[in-house]
Amino acid sequence: MKRRTFLTGAFTGTAALALGVSLYTPEVTDSPDDTHRLLFSVLIPVFMDGALPDVPNYREAFLNRTIIAINQTISVLPTDQKQELEQLLTMLESRFGLLILTSSITPLMLRTPAELNDMLEQWRHHFLEMMQTAYIGLRELIVASYYACPEHWGRLHYSKPTFLDA
Amino acid sequence: MAATIIDPITTGLASGWQHIDANHLAEDQHFEADVVIVGTGAGGGTAAEILTDAGLSVIMIEAGPLKSSSDFDMEERTAYPDLYQQAAAMKTADKGIGIFQGRSVGGSTTVNWTTSIRTPQNALEFWAKEKSVAGLSSESLLPWFEKMEARLNISEWQFQPNQNNAALKEGCEKLGWEYTVIKRNVKGCWNSGYCGMGCPVNAKQSMLVTTIPSALEQGAKLISNAKVFDLKHKGDKVEGLSARAQSGTAATLTFSARHYILSAGAIHTPTILMRANTPDPHKLLGKTFLHPTLLSGSIFDKQIDGHSGAPQSIYSDEFVWRDGAAGEMGYKLEVPPIHPVLIASKTIGYGQSHAELMTHFNNLQVMIALVRDGYSAQSPGGQVRLTDSGFALDYSLEKPFWDTARRAFATMAELQFAAGASKVLPINDGVGMQLNWAQAKETIANMDIGLLKTIVASAHVMGGCAMGEDKTMSMINSEGQSHYFENLSVMDGSMFPTSLGANPQLSIYGIVARNATLLAERLKPQIQI
Repeated sequence: MKRRTFLTGAFTGTAALALGVSLYTPEVTDSPDDTHRLLFSVLIPVFMDGALPDVPNYREAFLNRTIIAINQTISVLPTDQKQELEQLLTMLESRFGLLILTSSITPLMLRTPAELNDMLEQWRHHFLEMMQTAYIGLRELIVASYYACPEHWGRLHYSKPTFLDA
Repeated sequence: MAATIIDPITTGLASGWQHIDANHLAEDQHFEADVVIVGTGAGGGTAAEILTDAGLSVIMIEAGPLKSSSDFDMEERTAYPDLYQQAAAMKTADKGIGIFQGRSVGGSTTVNWTTSIRTPQNALEFWAKEKSVAGLSSESLLPWFEKMEARLNISEWQFQPNQNNAALKEGCEKLGWEYTVIKRNVKGCWNSGYCGMGCPVNAKQSMLVTTIPSALEQGAKLISNAKVFDLKHKGDKVEGLSARAQSGTAATLTFSARHYILSAGAIHTPTILMRANTPDPHKLLGKTFLHPTLLSGSIFDKQIDGHSGAPQSIYSDEFVWRDGAAGEMGYKLEVPPIHPVLIASKTIGYGQSHAELMTHFNNLQVMIALVRDGYSAQSPGGQVRLTDSGFALDYSLEKPFWDTARRAFATMAELQFAAGASKVLPINDGVGMQLNWAQAKETIANMDIGLLKTIVASAHVMGGCAMGEDKTMSMINSEGQSHYFENLSVMDGSMFPTSLGANPQLSIYGIVARNATLLAERLKPQIQI
């Protein structure tokens, strides 16, 4: 049933700019950073390659921040969009879903960065709009959530004004 | 926020304004007034002040929350979920167009970029000739524009444009193209650049800090976080509205009034009417226009700092009406503010190439081309439809649009190089940095352009409940009165029979000021008896 819904629905692609409430508020109670943690810990380094710091400790902290931000982004999306996105994420965590989406049952965490990159490139340029929306949905979700965090603005040489802090 | 900034909303609430947060209602409640207005954006806010001024009792219902300057922290991660429809992630059904629309008290006026442009004469003439709109001309609307410009302190921006806007100006000067200094609805603007996240210093003269406080001061009632889900009607009368809280309670709110005004915006106004099965014999409800918008990035050697300074202070109409209103689709040239999430999301690619682009954040200049839609069979616009859980907007981008998009990309690239850009990046997947105008021209002519490959955005949702005198092409008359219900008016961007070819807020202010005044005159004598 899931496969059918997935294949016929125009899913995801919609998480673009939703950013979560605040990284520091404890209002998301069900351990948001644990949801899809493994999946995102594999995907974020591919999407954010070149932006994530190389130093292991910093890299880990940036990764954790982004996973929390992603889950908070998802939490503020309307129900329909949330369901579409959850459906995609669940498929990426199941062997059957992976087979449909990537023609391989190898879990994403066992694939090399180059293989993951190839997977995204195939989706990005796929003849099926459904696959392109999968790419765009993940891209916007991860990229928007990453740059929602002020801790990640260092490379941009940007910070918000401080004139109201007084 | 700084203690020195006085928040007019918290101050007003403390002084006794009538505000109910529907999320906190413990039980069902019924409300009555002379006029109930659904929505508090440019249309609802303007109507609320005029009707309360006329001595009528008014209730304003807003689906979004009441947020004010104390909440505006100049961060996208707070602003988008708090102040935008669908946390700023709204898209057309095929995901082809991302849509920014406000959703809090003040509607889109709380988050817009303050650009204030009178309804273009080309649009008014087209509506009169082709859409049966009567009595709306530049001359007849002049006093209403002047009234609202005075009310909202709309005047030409006197400061130097920021570098992002200056590039548009300089490019136009070099190429001999028309450009205009933008009029803005601000008073004491700090020129910080964060209009899109709610003005933190209350300088933007949005509905949130002008007409809505004025109406509340005169006894109007505001109900926030209440989503209207039903409109009861019988014969030619609306008999009541029902709403429910967005969260936290199962309470139902019911409303009855002598007159009802829908100002819920160009998607939600038609959605309310569709869900209530109101008459629509010619299937006109929900015909929507978006000004679908293309983006072109560029890198300058000098610092641009597009996040800083008035977000929009220059536009160019060089290409909007070239071929006449009914001719080839035209496009207006503007620039957007440049903030991390907005730009990271609305550019292309990922990994190293995207990270590299983002390192140029402060040298990045971005141009946008807003395509004028709805003026010919080639650009019919979109269609709102109901779904089990809400609505969807079908908007098919066809070949005439993509041909226009290709021309717009070329125009923007030419302009950016003329202004001194060292590189230009059309925001279209598969295209890299262009090093000069000749290369860009060649690339744009041949690039693979289309749905999901090309980033298309919209910040102007219009149409859906068009005005006019001919019932076969309109849902309301030229004064905003429903053709089918004698006690229902529509006063928001949904009244436009096409897109405007200009940013919509001042058109809504001016036309609604006229229509609400006419309505007040109609309703007033009865309450004086």
